[in-house]
Amino acid sequence: MNQFTFTGKQKTFTFSLMFVGLLTALICLFMKGDGLRFWSNFLHNTVFFVGISFISLFILCAKSLAYSGWQTVFKRVWEAMSLFMPIGVIFLLIITLGIKMGWHDLYHWADADSVAHDKLLQAKSPFLNFTNYFLFTLIVGGYWIFTMYAYRRLSLREDNNAGLYSFNKIKALAGVFLFAGGYLACIMIWLWVMSIDAHWYSTMFAWYSAASWLVSTIAFTVLMMIYLQGKGYFPKFTDEHMHDLGKYLFGFSIFWTYLWFSQFMLIWYANIGEETTYFKLRIDEYPVLFYGNLVINFLLPFFVLMRNSTKRKHGTMIFVAIFVFFGHWMDYFQMIKPGVVETEHHLAHAAHDDHGSDTKHLDDAHKDEHKKEDAHKDDHAGDGHDDTHGDGHGDAHEESLRWGFGMPGYIEFGMFAGFLGLFLFVFFTGLGRASLTPENDIYLDESYHHHA
Amino acid sequence: MGHGIFVAPTRKPLVTGSKSYHDITEDICSPAEKAPSVAWVIGMLVSLGLVAFGGACLLITIWVGIGSWNLNRTIGWGWDITNFVWWIGIGHAGTLISAILLLFRQKWRTGVNRAAEAMTIFAVICAALFPGIHMGRIWLAFFIFPYPNTRGPLWVNFNSPLLWDVFAISTYFTVSLLFWYTGLVPDFATLRDRAKGMRKRIYSFLSFGWTGSAKHWQRHEYLSLVLAGLATPLVLSVHTIVSFDFATSVIPGWHTTIFPPYFVAGAIFSGFAMVQTLMIVSRKVMNLQDYITITHIEAMNKIILLTGTIVGCAYLTELFIAWYSGYIYEQFAFMNRAMGPYWWSYFGMMLCNVITPQLFWIKKIRRSIFWTFFLSIVVNIGMWFERFVIIATTLARDYLPSSWSYYWPSIIEIGVYLFTFGLFFTLYLIFSRVAPVVAIAEVKHILKYNGDQYLAKNREDYEAKTGVKVVLDEDKVTDDPNYEVDDQIDANDLDENN
Repeated sequence: MNQFTFTGKQKTFTFSLMFVGLLTALICLFMKGDGLRFWSNFLHNTVFFVGISFISLFILCAKSLAYSGWQTVFKRVWEAMSLFMPIGVIFLLIITLGIKMGWHDLYHWADADSVAHDKLLQAKSPFLNFTNYFLFTLIVGGYWIFTMYAYRRLSLREDNNAGLYSFNKIKALAGVFLFAGGYLACIMIWLWVMSIDAHWYSTMFAWYSAASWLVSTIAFTVLMMIYLQGKGYFPKFTDEHMHDLGKYLFGFSIFWTYLWFSQFMLIWYANIGEETTYFKLRIDEYPVLFYGNLVINFLLPFFVLMRNSTKRKHGTMIFVAIFVFFGHWMDYFQMIKPGVVETEHHLAHAAHDDHGSDTKHLDDAHKDEHKKEDAHKDDHAGDGHDDTHGDGHGDAHEESLRWGFGMPGYIEFGMFAGFLGLFLFVFFTGLGRASLTPENDIYLDESYHHHA
Repeated sequence: MGHGIFVAPTRKPLVTGSKSYHDITEDICSPAEKAPSVAWVIGMLVSLGLVAFGGACLLITIWVGIGSWNLNRTIGWGWDITNFVWWIGIGHAGTLISAILLLFRQKWRTGVNRAAEAMTIFAVICAALFPGIHMGRIWLAFFIFPYPNTRGPLWVNFNSPLLWDVFAISTYFTVSLLFWYTGLVPDFATLRDRAKGMRKRIYSFLSFGWTGSAKHWQRHEYLSLVLAGLATPLVLSVHTIVSFDFATSVIPGWHTTIFPPYFVAGAIFSGFAMVQTLMIVSRKVMNLQDYITITHIEAMNKIILLTGTIVGCAYLTELFIAWYSGYIYEQFAFMNRAMGPYWWSYFGMMLCNVITPQLFWIKKIRRSIFWTFFLSIVVNIGMWFERFVIIATTLARDYLPSSWSYYWPSIIEIGVYLFTFGLFFTLYLIFSRVAPVVAIAEVKHILKYNGDQYLAKNREDYEAKTGVKVVLDEDKVTDDPNYEVDDQIDANDLDENN
């Protein structure tokens, strides 16, 4: 079976998922009237799945320049995964439009009143503004999409044309993309995700988030390969290939942990209030997200996949891949939601008290040179809570009990299902549009005889 | 298909000259069995000269104390720590080649792994010297080890990244040494089997009674894999902890979260540059062009390009986030780097690490011996500048303008740096005389898949089957001007050797 058929049953399944997503989105918007919850979910899922398609393309390009051959037997799967990119970028443009139209308050820097009273946001406004957000999303997204289609076209061209034309052209395309696409991805992550915690910054953040995308991509690949093999496709995809995907899942999970640890440890050790606020908030108010992140994304793959044999057992791989895929979805959840809630507090606070405590506080903080003993209690004040609001935080984990923000509720899972359905629909459609085996790929023979 | 080997026709040979197994043994063993060449003797004399001069400076440092250096109250870390970080970074290429590339099954590693691993060990020795003498009282150096002692409650500071350095680097050194030696055992046995008299006795001892039985090979492979597994996190951890020496502080320009991965990338970057410098000379002097081919050099240049680009990404990220943070001290630190008293080192760093390595996008340059050698030196200079920028520039302008200062090394500090060069090259030259510089057994292992005679047959089969013409760079393609430079250099090499 060299041609994938997108069966009616599969279509029904993906449409059901999409229907669930739509339904929960509508419930969220109209029955609950919780726009913030809807928009933050929308951003969360969009960024997550755009990342997976971006990384799929990135891996393909990296493999081309590295003369890697073993993946050839299933490289069409990564191609199909990258096809979600245009839809993802359109969704991001909708979010951008939402900033302009005031549909949502995801970004603190987009609120003119806040900026007027906040020196830091003013200082950042040359970067954090609507025009930049829009232009970067449009142009960089457009460039990614262009590369994705160009890669796909060259790859498909090869099926009917033996020779090295595509092989060489893809190398040129990949060289530019790894460089430009990679650098620009940092900027996109800063804009899309890091700027939600508009006051906070970390040089590691872009690499950390990209590592999270990377692990999700590998986990999704593992799941799809096992599923497709179960349906009789990819007979030449052997345990050797699965073993190498398992190594990727294992290795990149550790890499993600390494970046997580480096970022956390350096901020914890230096104990500078402006930086610790990010983790302080997550540890105090979202402990399940904070610690769960490490358990699912580090401990689980580390211990389960350490042995060689587990990387060859499909059952174990499914188990780990599902957890890790979900775990990194949760990682993005904890990157996005707490910041959104903080912004909500800021805006609510500013609405009934307009003295601009942010500005005052930050000036003080600089004058005081971050007195360590103050850093702890300043954290919440630094984010614009006054004392009356801060009292609320005395109770344990107030935010973690708020469904949709502290913990994903049925709406979050529903919308995740919707996005997954859409992603799968695009994936299966793309998979069915071409031969599953790139017959003329120069590395095919190597890939068939791969030994891990 | 049907011809027994499954290698893509575009793969370039990693062993050229239609070598047989016996040829490989002869070619690689012979430098260790002949009288040293003139080039070797001159190299050794120069290295020993550096050791002598630098050794005197080292003794003065120990006798007089750190006062013989130009460090001052503001700039407490100068050339010493710069050199320490630089040498540690150099070492990383060896570990990456031996461990990570082994796990990734990269066959080109076999041509360069032995020398790169040796380089790692010598570089770590050079690096360890600097914190040792910087303590001022080197006879108390054992205080850095945590053990129950008679000094009362005086323990090492477990909270200090400097102590973590002690653990990280000593572990790194131990594992690298074991890895290197494990690979050497079968090759020492080869030398033993060819030697006579005293040499035979020595190699016999060094090769641990290796017989080449299946059981020996099985255990050898297993141990290599275990050590590779142990060494892989070490590649990351050592320079991560070196970066912690700076990043755990609250010094603007030092405290930034991207430091660990960016230091690791920088270390691999400089390490590969040093491997190139050494390999380009070694392959020529020892006549190993068939084992360390242009393809090996190109592969390493690609890693230099990759890691250089990652380092560039980190520089730009730091610069941008310094502005973005809105934190004036951080902003000042970066303004000061580019426009302060040490502006020249910042621009040297940017030029050598970010801009010039990008030349490797050009295939002609990537496959040119001259350019590779030149750029490998440039990268090593650039990476030295990077550490100097981070250390001296930042310290020179601290929070208190009244203590701002400038620093320039004394002749003694320069001498100590030269000492490490002398030591490094002396050790490398000795190594090149007593051990096979290329891993004999490992090259033999890949011959059937990557030898040019087998690949040529493979390519012909493919061309016959598909009708596609595959043109490799090694073929002298006259109508392509891109390959002219390469061809000339290769031809020159051959002429001189004949």
